Formats: sequence, C-alpha cells, structure tokens
Amino acid sequence: MTKQSTLTLSMILATAVVSGAVAVSSAGCRKSAPEPGGAAATAPAATRSLTIWWAQWAPADGLQELAREFARQENVDVIVHQIPWASFQDQVFQEFGKSQTSFDIVVGDSQWLGRGATKGLYVDLTAWLPSAVAIDSLHPVALKYLAEYPTGSGHYYGAPAETDAMGWAYRKDWFEDPAEHAEFKRQYKRELAVPQTWGELETLARFFTRPDKKRYGAVMVTGRGYDDIVMGFEQILYAFGGSWGDPKTLAVKGSLDSPGAIRALDFFKGLLAYGPPGGGKLGYGEALEPFVNNSTAMLMNYFAFFPDLAKKMSDRVGFFAMPRQGERRFASLGGQGFSISTKVSPAQQELAKKFIAWFLRTDTQKQWVRKPGGFTANAAILKSDEFRKASPYNTAFAESLDIAQDFWNVPVYNELIAATAQQLGEALDGKKSSRDALAQMAAEHQKILRDATP
Amino acid sequence: MKILRALTVLCFLLVAMLPLVWLALTSIKTYDDTISPHAKFVPWPASGAPEGDATEPSVRFTPTANAFRKLSQPVAGTPHSFYHYLANSVVIGLLSTVAAVCLGTLGAYGFSRFRIPGSKDWLFFILSTRFLPPLAVVVPVLVMYRWFALDNSHLGLILLYTSFNLSLAVWLMKGFVDEIPRAFEEAALVDGYSRLRTFFRIIVPQASTGMAVTAVFCLISSWNEFGFAMTLNNYEPKTVPVYFAGLQGNIEGVPWPQIAAGMMIFVAPIILFTVLVRRHLLRGVTFGTIKQ
Amino acid sequence: MGWGFVAPALIVLLALNLFPLLFNIYLSFTNTDLSGGVVKNVGAHNYTVLFSDARYAHALTLTALFVLVSVSVELVLGFVLALALRDHLPGKPIILTVLLIPMMLCPVVLSLFWNLILNGNYGVLNQLLAVAHLPQPQWLTDDDLKLVSILLVDVWMWTPFMMLISLAGLNAIPKYIYEAAEIDRAGPWMVFRTITLPMCAPLLGLAVLLRATDALKQFDLVMAITGPNDSATQTLSARIYQVVFRDYKVGLGAAYGVVILVAVLAVATIFVRYTDRLNQRLGKAAT
Repeated sequence: MTKQSTLTLSMILATAVVSGAVAVSSAGCRKSAPEPGGAAATAPAATRSLTIWWAQWAPADGLQELAREFARQENVDVIVHQIPWASFQDQVFQEFGKSQTSFDIVVGDSQWLGRGATKGLYVDLTAWLPSAVAIDSLHPVALKYLAEYPTGSGHYYGAPAETDAMGWAYRKDWFEDPAEHAEFKRQYKRELAVPQTWGELETLARFFTRPDKKRYGAVMVTGRGYDDIVMGFEQILYAFGGSWGDPKTLAVKGSLDSPGAIRALDFFKGLLAYGPPGGGKLGYGEALEPFVNNSTAMLMNYFAFFPDLAKKMSDRVGFFAMPRQGERRFASLGGQGFSISTKVSPAQQELAKKFIAWFLRTDTQKQWVRKPGGFTANAAILKSDEFRKASPYNTAFAESLDIAQDFWNVPVYNELIAATAQQLGEALDGKKSSRDALAQMAAEHQKILRDATP
Repeated sequence: MKILRALTVLCFLLVAMLPLVWLALTSIKTYDDTISPHAKFVPWPASGAPEGDATEPSVRFTPTANAFRKLSQPVAGTPHSFYHYLANSVVIGLLSTVAAVCLGTLGAYGFSRFRIPGSKDWLFFILSTRFLPPLAVVVPVLVMYRWFALDNSHLGLILLYTSFNLSLAVWLMKGFVDEIPRAFEEAALVDGYSRLRTFFRIIVPQASTGMAVTAVFCLISSWNEFGFAMTLNNYEPKTVPVYFAGLQGNIEGVPWPQIAAGMMIFVAPIILFTVLVRRHLLRGVTFGTIKQ
Repeated sequence: MGWGFVAPALIVLLALNLFPLLFNIYLSFTNTDLSGGVVKNVGAHNYTVLFSDARYAHALTLTALFVLVSVSVELVLGFVLALALRDHLPGKPIILTVLLIPMMLCPVVLSLFWNLILNGNYGVLNQLLAVAHLPQPQWLTDDDLKLVSILLVDVWMWTPFMMLISLAGLNAIPKYIYEAAEIDRAGPWMVFRTITLPMCAPLLGLAVLLRATDALKQFDLVMAITGPNDSATQTLSARIYQVVFRDYKVGLGAAYGVVILVAVLAVATIFVRYTDRLNQRLGKAAT
C-alpha cells in the first residue's frame, strides 16, 4: 500500500463509520420536522401536531411565529415547513401522489385550486367556510381567487391565507431630489411625481435611463421559469383591453389576440428598453437585484417582497399601486390560500379547520398584518387607517386588492402557463412580433383547454 | 515557438483559474459589493472611502468573513443551515462509495478470475448504465421508491448512488485486479486457502491503491450528482447541489456571498482528492478504458 | 464459484438499474399522473404524442447540436493545450493539476456561480468586455446566446478532459519515430500530419465517444442557467423534466425514457466495439 492510498482509504473509512452512525440514528426521524422558529419550547410536549407546507419566504416565518399562539392554546405542535419557490409546486403535487400526505394543510397558489378540486386532493370547504368566518368580512377579490373553484360558483376549496398583488417600489430619494425635479420640468414641462398612468410611468422610466452612468428606469418581472413573466404581463394585458379569455365558455380567441392585447405586449416590450441590461429574463427574486444595487429607479414586483425592501432601504424607497390606462386599472393577483389535504385522517382535517378558523379571526388578522410580509384579506382591516399607516406600502396594497386580476385556475393551468411564458419570452427576445406571439398563444391555449374538457 | 507554447499555457491557466478566483473573492465580499455594477476585485479598502459603499465606482472593497460566519445560520426561509446539507452530502456520498467499492471489488474479482457465463453481456450491461441520462431512469425509480417509502430518504439516494457507482467501480477495479499477477493467488490456493480468504489476504492489499482511486472517483461522482438528488430528495435529506439550486429566486435575493462561501467549502475536498489521485486521473475519468 | 463474487453486485444492479428500465416500458403504456389518480392503460397513445410533438424533435436537434459543438470545440482546444504541454515545462505537475480542476467540480454548483459572472446587469465578464471596448452581449437573456452560454460553461469544464486524453495519446508516441522523421528531414507540419495526428487518433476517438455520451445527458447546466422550460436550451433531459415534473405526465415521460434507452443501447454497442478494437491495437489484454 502506498502512503497516499492508505491515507485516502482510512480517511474515507473513518468518516464512513461516523456517517453510518449518523444515518442510522436519523433514519428513525425521517418525517420529523425542524424546530419551529428556533425558540425553546416552553409548553409540555404536545401529542398532536399540525403540519403546514408553504413556500420559503418571510410570510412563512411570520405564520410560524403567529401559529405559536394557536399551538399554546390548543396544546398542539404547529409546524410550518418551507420549500423553495422553484420546487414548491413539484413537491406538493408529488406528495399528493402518495396515499397519505405529510402535510395537513398546504398554502397553495391560487392557480392550483382547479387541480386540487377536480382531482379530489383538496377538501371541499363550501359548507364549512361560512360557519368559520363571516364571508362578507373577506375582501371579495380574495375570496374569488384564493378560495373559489370554479370561479363564480360559490364552491370553496381554499381559505385566503396570504393575499398579495403586484405593485411598484421606487427610489423616493431620486424622485425627491431637487436637481432631478428641475431637469424633469425642463424636459417635460410638468412635475416629477409618482405616475398615475402607464404613459407617465414610461416617461419616468425614459427620464431615468442613463446607461453611461449605469442608471436605468424600470425593472420588471420577466422570468420564464414558472409564472413570473405571465404575472408581470397580466396587469398590462388587462389595462390595455385584452384578457386571457372567457372563464365560462373557455373561449380565448378574440380576447388574447385582440388589438388591445397586441398594444399591451408592444408596451411591455417597449418598457424593457428603459430597464437594466438583461432585464428580459428576471425572476421574482432576481428582479430585486438591479433595484437594490442602486442602478434602477422603479421596481415592479409582488408586495410580499416589499417589507424586506422597506427594512433595507428605509427612507430611500416608496411604493405605489399599478397605474391605469385610460379608465382601466389592474394588478396581478398573488397570494395563496389554505387548502386541507383529503389524504389525512378526519381528525387531522378537523384540527386543520380549527386552525384556519382561528387564523381568519379579526384579532388574529390584526396580528398577522404586523408580521413582515403578512397581508390580509380582511376587508375591515384593509380599509382602516391604522392599517394604512402601519407601513409605507400598506396603502398601495389596499388599493391593489380592489383592482386584482388572476390567471386561469383550471386543472391544466400549468400547461397554459408554460405556453404563455414561452410565447411571451419569444416576443420579448425579439424573435416574434407581438401579433404573432399572441396569435400562437391563443391557439395553444384554445387547444389545451379543448383537450382538457372531457 | 517556446513563447507561443508558454503563452498558450498561460492563457489556459488564466481561463481555468479566473472563475475560481472570482469565487474566492466573492466569498469575502458583502452582498452589496457582490451585485454592484462596478466590479470590485481588490480586497484592500480605499482609504477615506466610507465603508461598504457599493455604489463607489472603485475596484476596491473591504473584505469580510461575514459570509462564512453566516453559513452556520439558515438562509432566510430555509429550515437548516448550509452545514446540515453538507452533512447530507457527506453521509450519502461516503456510504454509497463504501458500498460501491466493496461490491465492485468483489464483482471485479469474480469477472477477472472466473469464467462467468455471459460475462461479456453482463459487462456490457454494466457499462451501458453509465450512458443513460438520469432523467430517463428517474421516472420509474420515483414510482418504485414511493411504494417502499424510499423517496426523500438518505437510504433511497444511497442505494441509487451505489448502483450507479457500481458500474464505475466494477470497470475500474477490473482493470486494477487484471494487473495483479495470478501467481500469488495460485500459491495461496496450493497452500489450502479458500477463495474468499485468498481474496481478503492477497488481492485486497494488492488492489488497495486501486480501491482508493475507485473510492475517490465514486465519491466525487456522488458528491457532484444533481439529477437524481433533485428529483428524489428535494425535501429533508437534500444534498448541497440541490440546496444551492433551491436558493435561486430566494425571497430576499440570492445570497451570493454565502453561496460563494459554501461553494468554497464544498469544492475544497474535491480539489484535495484530485491532487491525491492525480496519477490515476486518466484511468478514472475514462472509466478504466485507458491505463497509463 | 465465481458467482459468489459477482452476485451481490449483480443483484443491486438488476434491482436498481435493469428493473426500472423494464418498469419504464410498462409505464410508457399508461397514463400515470405524478399527483396520483387512477392509472389506465392507454396503448401506444404516449408514443404517438411523443413523435408528433414538435418539441420532441426540437429537443433532439438541440441535444445533437450541443453535443456536436461542445465536443468539437473541446477536442480542438484540448489538443492544442496538450501539444503545448507535451514537452518539458517548469512546474508541469502543478500546472497540469490546476488545469484539471474544472472538470472535477460539480457542474450545477459551478454553473450557478457562472450566472453571477454572466449577469447582464452587474456580471464581471461584461464589465471586463466594457473596459476593453468590446460589445457586451446579454449572455443569459439573448435567445441566440443562451445556448452559447451553456456551451461556454461546458467547454470551460471539460476541455481539461480532452487535454488529459490527448496528452496520453501524444506521450504514447515513441520518441524514435520522431527521431527517424528528423533524420528524413520532414518539416513540422508534415510530421504533425503523418505521425502525430494518426497515432493519436484512436485515443482521441475514445475521448470523443466518452465526452459525447456525457454531453448527451446534459441536464445540470440547463437547469442552472436557463431552467427546464426555455425553448432555446431545452435538451432531451430538460424536456423529460418538464413533461414529468411540471406537466405531471409520467406515462409520456416514460415513453421518452424508452426512446432514449434504445439510442443509448446503440451508442453503448458502438463504444464497446471501438474500445475492443482500440485495446487490441494498443496491444493490451482484451477485456
């Protein structure tokens, strides 16, 4: 044996023995979850537990903290298991493929409702929800998109957990700089102010675009990995007069390839020119970077990202809701709802219902909005002054819910999103004209929807 | 001519090293310095400049060990710190390597010394498993694993890596075992040793270098594997490559300095092992078909 | 007697390699869905869908293009580097080891980091190009360049592999042949054309085969740099990922797997025949 090989072999063998011990001891706790929130447990060990699956972000941390109150009251363990966004959907539906799921509640994306309902994965909450919470205390948009399937039917498969919408963050310090004000007035003959229309936003973006100084106007969400670019485009599509199609007849032609839609896509493309280089392929998280590294004036993203921005940039950042085009004003809906898995015991389902009912209580919601990233669907709180003053983005958020619009939530939504992302991407990359991209998109959507209806 | 040669080598050296140097530099920067539109590569703070002002169009930055320190805390929203996933990679990598080398050496000895009917076909089959894209195999494996509750478990991935490293192990060890002269075994057999005893007393010590080399290559292959790890183990027992991939699109922005710091730690053992087995690299990467 | 030694290895391989492949064939005739539900036999439906899908043909072409370009570029660059390294150089062992490091690293991890280097807004590569007054292409977002970016990272990682094998080939040429050529006063280009290249060719051929079979599996780089659903870079493996893990169509994914299996068997046969001939020619014991 050479010295080197002795060394290598012994290193490997020794560490293998240790790891074997570790693996054996951890094999027993395969399904055990991480310690909630990292704080020391003070209550005696609970015999029951409630497992919630959500995506990996600040609101989930907030939910974990908030849930400690429920855990104390009911003497159960509440575990919020977080999964990175990129694999959240995959993980959840793979888990649903088993005979029993490791989670009792999944805080699923609004689009998943159709699949969850038609495949018998989500518990039907139609009879129960009105008894748990006063239906009219919830904002109608949140109810419509985060709870109902089919849309408008009055059947509920979810309960609103995190209501979200898209909005804009902007560099308040740049907007309030007197030198910028003077220059803007000189060029455009009016005051530099937060934009009310898409046209004004474009002008502002053009004004701030100074590539030689590494400054750009507006960065948008354009990622192709999941639904990023679809959500980014959706609000512009509707504002300019287009739409995804008729939810009842499932007709797409005439809405998605209408002249309004084409104008919308042209506008979307045009706005990219006033963005940072590489701005045509930015996911939700990536879009933050050009804003945070001080090169861009305005950022379009979900409100869930804004608390962290406000914390990091304090006075330098401000927020406004989506601008309008003529009289039409829309914001892409985000957010998730609680859905109960049909693949757990009835006792667990009852516990899950108890939790959701507790969460939706007004006093709990008041605490929820104080958690970073916690956004509510409670209409009363949304209207209150107290809420609007609590943070720099709350006012804009409350406005945005009133104008929210969502994508298809039919069971084949995933194929629809993939087709949309691909066509939009090709249009943005300059490979197709807006007209062609939308025409092909409409054709693909029509085919997918037709193939899906039995 | 000589200058041309030197220039070529220098050029390639730079290209090979620069991304790794950049990785090292990124691991000692602050987050703002990492995404600054003015690239910073001199770790010497400019005197008089306010600390950590990333908007300064200067190539200097203040180095900090913050990224390495933060590795022991979970990134925003993840349940565990980097070291938890590193431990997963270590456990899964080592156990699958040990299993593959043991079974592979036994198998290689069998194929080398005995006439196994259909051995050519067996060896062909073992070789062809290496050519299969993991994604083509993961579909049935996932369904099978669900029946046995092996998905999202250490054991499941260990078993799978063992079977895929086995092909490498058998081919590599066969090459090494073929080179051991039969005289030693024949002498032992004449002395009344059983085959098994001969194997352990004679073959294993002689093949130890080969086993070490094979172990290193199996370990590197498991360490770097992504396709299976991502599709089968995306829950608790995640390995490091899957962990890093999952940090893309993180809600608070991708934590580049921490990723760089974690990557430095992750690739360090590989670099160490490369140096240790550099004499056998050719044999290892060509699946044992070329011996030097 | 020999069976006792090979049985354990073969059992593991049968259970985890062979059985899944057979099971895959069964799955390809069903409509299995990843999120559960009733499984039905659907005959050859998945295959008709597969062969009539434009995206399948596209993935095939893209994969073939990727393999062709990456292997050719790596071969040329690796061979040139090997030529430069062939003769004595101060510090050669260290230089060699340093050059070989990129190919031993984790592809996914490194390409995630390459995203930082290639970023359009703050990436250091574009900043360096700007300093040299060269155009700064959008590596990660320009549709024509996405494949180039993946090729770039792949070439960076695997050229050392070609270099290593080329070096072995070059070093295997006995010195006396060169001395004889010198006596015959053959020019350097003549020597290269008639001695160096032909004598290296068998090993280079092996290198090409090995690298090509690896490149066919390309998945890690695509996932890290563009994601699985980008039409500019959707290789076969990425297409399978999209079909199974995003569209939840396990049956269709299994059909893709079966088609790939047939191709792989063909490639493996070629490979084995080639190495057999190679080993015979190089005078080593046949395996």
